[in-house]
Amino acid sequence: MRRTYSAFAWIIAGGVVVQAASIAFALGGIGRYVQDGGVIDKALVESRQATFTGDLGFPIHGIVGGMVIPLAAVALLIIAFFVKARGARKWAGIVLALVALQITLGYSIVDMPYLGLVHGANALAVLLASVYAARRIRRSATAGAEKTAADAIAT
Amino acid sequence: MPSRPDLVRRVAAGVALTGALGLGALGWGSTLLGEYSVMDMGGGQAGHVHNGATGPGAASTVSVTGLIADPLRAPDVRIELVARCQTIDIPGGRPVEGYTVNGTSPGPTIRARQGDLVEAVFVNESVAAGATLHWHGVDVPNEADGVAGITQDAVPVGGRHVYRFTADDAGTYWYHSHQVSHEQVGGGLLGAVVIDPAAPPSNQHDADAVALLHVYGGQHTLNGRVQDEHVPAGPGTAVRVRVINTDQGTAAVWSAAPIRVAATDGHDVNGPAAVEGRKVLIPAGGRLDVTVQAPAHGSARLHVGGARSITIGDPGSGAPPSRQPSDTLDLLAYGEPAPLGFDPQSPDRTFDYVIGRRLGLIDGRPGNFWTINGQLFPDVPMFHVRQGDVVHMRIVNESGEVHPMHLHGHHVVVLSRDGIPASGSPWWVDSLDVHPGETYEIAFVADNPGIWSDHCHTLPHAVDGLVAHVMYEGVTTPFTINGGAGNQPE
Ligand SMILES: [Cu+2]
Repeated sequence: MRRTYSAFAWIIAGGVVVQAASIAFALGGIGRYVQDGGVIDKALVESRQATFTGDLGFPIHGIVGGMVIPLAAVALLIIAFFVKARGARKWAGIVLALVALQITLGYSIVDMPYLGLVHGANALAVLLASVYAARRIRRSATAGAEKTAADAIAT
Repeated sequence: MPSRPDLVRRVAAGVALTGALGLGALGWGSTLLGEYSVMDMGGGQAGHVHNGATGPGAASTVSVTGLIADPLRAPDVRIELVARCQTIDIPGGRPVEGYTVNGTSPGPTIRARQGDLVEAVFVNESVAAGATLHWHGVDVPNEADGVAGITQDAVPVGGRHVYRFTADDAGTYWYHSHQVSHEQVGGGLLGAVVIDPAAPPSNQHDADAVALLHVYGGQHTLNGRVQDEHVPAGPGTAVRVRVINTDQGTAAVWSAAPIRVAATDGHDVNGPAAVEGRKVLIPAGGRLDVTVQAPAHGSARLHVGGARSITIGDPGSGAPPSRQPSDTLDLLAYGEPAPLGFDPQSPDRTFDYVIGRRLGLIDGRPGNFWTINGQLFPDVPMFHVRQGDVVHMRIVNESGEVHPMHLHGHHVVVLSRDGIPASGSPWWVDSLDVHPGETYEIAFVADNPGIWSDHCHTLPHAVDGLVAHVMYEGVTTPFTINGGAGNQPE
């Protein structure tokens, strides 16, 4: 179970990396498309037929951010209830809360573009929290072999 | 070996999980639509009747198939339209796979004179999913509305269907398939309709051009070409440009030269003033007739949509592109007031059409779907009306995206937006952009019996539940959706 917990935490951390990469890919592609005379308007966006390089970045960002990461975060919290390690639930809860905040921010950016600033910063918080959750459980796992010492180490 | 309380906990979790999965499967199964009829939708709770009459006479019913144009009258305009699934040649761009009408996309422009009886013989040569023709903005008899599963069965490959209607209102319209429409309209199964006035128009113009906008495979086109156009015109000549937005999103029209909005959705604007330094927006599915005067020297450039433009004037001279103005013309206060022809202040019916969004299941498919009055499709309201009713509708957009709301078979007049009453020319539309947070009050006269879709024309939104219907008392349909005929109107 500790292994699974750790694996899901790493999935979330990896997801954040994919998010940063996909949106940079997409914005780079837009820049290039516009440079070459392409026009992005509501008609193109809603046609769902945009064909510039980097265009794939948007659906990736949407699917990973709107589906993969939140599902992994929920799974992490569920798994935490089957892991005997102090703080496992707490950190899974923190990760899930940060992910929930991140999604809310993401969906609100079009209404309030300034929220994009928080969205970018909060991404780092999700990354750090999930990496910490993944690493601390493995640390307490190794320590868990010596039963008595476990509690002393896993704060 | 797990300890006892641990075992109990795991068993409890297992039971809870099984129970949740069982309930989930049950809930999922209950959203499956299967074959259904619009007759069974809505439960009849949607409207508030003000005149209190529930009177007699409701016993006689008529099928949508009986709501037709004069069957004995010979057509004034007759055209055969053949739909094919094929590669579309895009001059100036690269070819795309899609749908054509008579070999091209857009298909031929249908031109008629006001009062003409138009007969279009539609043949489906190779559109595998079946196809129909809907006459967007033309207030046709219900039988000719072309909505698969409501007014007809989708025309299968090798089949044909005859559409007949009188061209009552002069103006700019278009036709498109209303079977799997999000896919077939995007794929190009469409064309323009222009109805010339019986008498010379009030907004004088000397020349006329159609500007049909469509994105094919990511390419912005004007009349099917990835090219700008030129309309030759002598100095001072007024040219009426009929802009048709066949795309899924709002289009902007602007020019550095003064322009006038002569008509919205096939209805002339009364006393249109010159528009300068502002853009005019056309909702998805909407049309805007703009008059541009050729300048004394050179030509004027009219931008139609973000990517294309038309120059008007001296063929030998170009006009530089102009920057898109940040200000938008507000049609709520454009032109001169004029009588509406009916009194919207004492409606017989009032309805709410409140658009929201939430996670849920439609037909077993999970997603973040649109809601109408808080309900997911198919639990959306049915707007029951009786012929002759004055209908008042409040459209509220509580979602985060703009929705171009399109009512079939009728034109609605805008009464107010966010409590501010309309103060210009009567603003008649069949496709109305309702932006996030906005509330529009609209009114129309129920003068065209039938069962009429009232949906979002960003067509993937209709697939995701943004479709309701106006149903006249005593009208029934024998057609069904998702049945053997494969009807899928959205
Ligand atoms: Cu919509």
